[in-house]
Amino acid sequence: MASGLAKFTSAMDRLYEFDREPVSLDKLQSGGKFAGLFAGEHVAATEFVIGAFFVLHGVSARELLLGLFLGNLLAVLSWAFICAPIALRTRLTLYWYLRKIAGPGVTFIYNIANAFLYCVLAGAMISVSATAVGLLFGIKVPALDAVLPTSAGWVAIVFVLGAAFTAMAILGFEKLSRFAEICSPWIFIVFVAGALAMLPKLGVGRDLANFWQVATTKIWNGVAAGGQEKFGFWHILFFAWFCNLAMHVGLSDMAIFRYARKWTYGFYTAFGMYPGHMLAWICSGIMVAAVGRQMDPGLMAFEAAGAAGIGAVLLAGWTTANPTLYRAGLALQTVTPNWPRWKITLLAGGATTVLACFPVFFLKLLDYVAIYGLVLMPIGAIVFTEHWIFPLLKIERYRAEARGWTFNWAVLAVWLGTLAACFLLPIHLFFKWLPGWFIAAGSYTLLMGLEGRRRGTK
Amino acid sequence: MKILLAVSSLLSLLLCLAAPLLFFLGILPEASYKLALLLASLGWFFLATSWASYGRKKSP
Repeated sequence: MASGLAKFTSAMDRLYEFDREPVSLDKLQSGGKFAGLFAGEHVAATEFVIGAFFVLHGVSARELLLGLFLGNLLAVLSWAFICAPIALRTRLTLYWYLRKIAGPGVTFIYNIANAFLYCVLAGAMISVSATAVGLLFGIKVPALDAVLPTSAGWVAIVFVLGAAFTAMAILGFEKLSRFAEICSPWIFIVFVAGALAMLPKLGVGRDLANFWQVATTKIWNGVAAGGQEKFGFWHILFFAWFCNLAMHVGLSDMAIFRYARKWTYGFYTAFGMYPGHMLAWICSGIMVAAVGRQMDPGLMAFEAAGAAGIGAVLLAGWTTANPTLYRAGLALQTVTPNWPRWKITLLAGGATTVLACFPVFFLKLLDYVAIYGLVLMPIGAIVFTEHWIFPLLKIERYRAEARGWTFNWAVLAVWLGTLAACFLLPIHLFFKWLPGWFIAAGSYTLLMGLEGRRRGTK
Repeated sequence: MKILLAVSSLLSLLLCLAAPLLFFLGILPEASYKLALLLASLGWFFLATSWASYGRKKSP
């Protein structure tokens, strides 16, 4: 067992070898590059679903605007004040920094968890694209409460798309990444175009004088659709905040910010948040209201923008599932050390395609996004605590590295314990991560402080 | 050439936005708006891809 794990961890280290050393000063990037990167990264296929779900969950227009504005502001501040400063001081990826703190064994488990979560996310993107292709063949989108595949046609389309996305990820990840850069501004424009074109259908006049009245009565009218939970201001604020929780509070974006010249580059995430996670969500809300509140991204986009709309849904799914499949493959490569990249991507793509057949992952996307962030959040809290709090309390840092621990059991216990505590907390899923962060930070400080005192190493 | 490609690709993106605006203002009928959006989109993909490839070919 120990030798097997050692083999896996050494394979994992080889895989991430290229970014083992802190980024050198000559590799640092300008602020403009960060603005461009974030602007292109946050307009995905899932935006077609998220904004539409806010309408189905009966959010009022005022709650939506205020919740999105403040929630996205909190997300930007989390990148700027939590993620970027640690990345700049260490110039390392989360993988290597976590390895110093938690040991290679915990990092290995973290990678596997990440791979699975990435597969589910890529699966949701394939499902969204399947709604666009399904429209061409007259295949109905599963009902809102569907969990299992609803028809052979749906499964066939998902398999064809999954196979196509996987094949293209295998054949040319780099080329597709460059193509995605071209797609992202256009996809954003299609969101705006679709919403604008749907306004007359909702009764908005050419002078926009009655826009607010239509918005509050026909779009975000505060009435939840049948079987959907009613959301309010706090749900929206927290959703916008935690939508990229794994990236900011969870510190995954250390991989990006280690190239920043200043920690203030964290504020450039606003270029991604406000167009992608505010304007695009508002646009998809308008589109779903105009098609009678049917959760069918393909139909929504087709009605709003014709063939270009169908193309936007398909391309948004494809270009965002591709890097997600790549990241899942990279994380999975740790368990299959001798496999070539194509075989790993095929495995990740196969798993993702099977998951995509289950409509529950895209129909419960809001809950899934919450769970995704929640599962990875304790690791971010642990790294934050070790980086900032331990020096203040004079607790020894990086003990896993110094003592050659494979597992820092305190990290594992705090991670699992925090998730158990969050599960038991009698509050809505969307709000659980915030007290969870403090539970993780507090309990990790306590455990490591006690461990240090026990060993006399304080 | 690169500047020409950049300007024309940005123009095609602007056209993607102008088409729904003209439909909203009642100047274009729905079918024409959707066709204009599709053509402008194809223009964007063709021109922006050429713009991006041109930059890469010229860079050392």
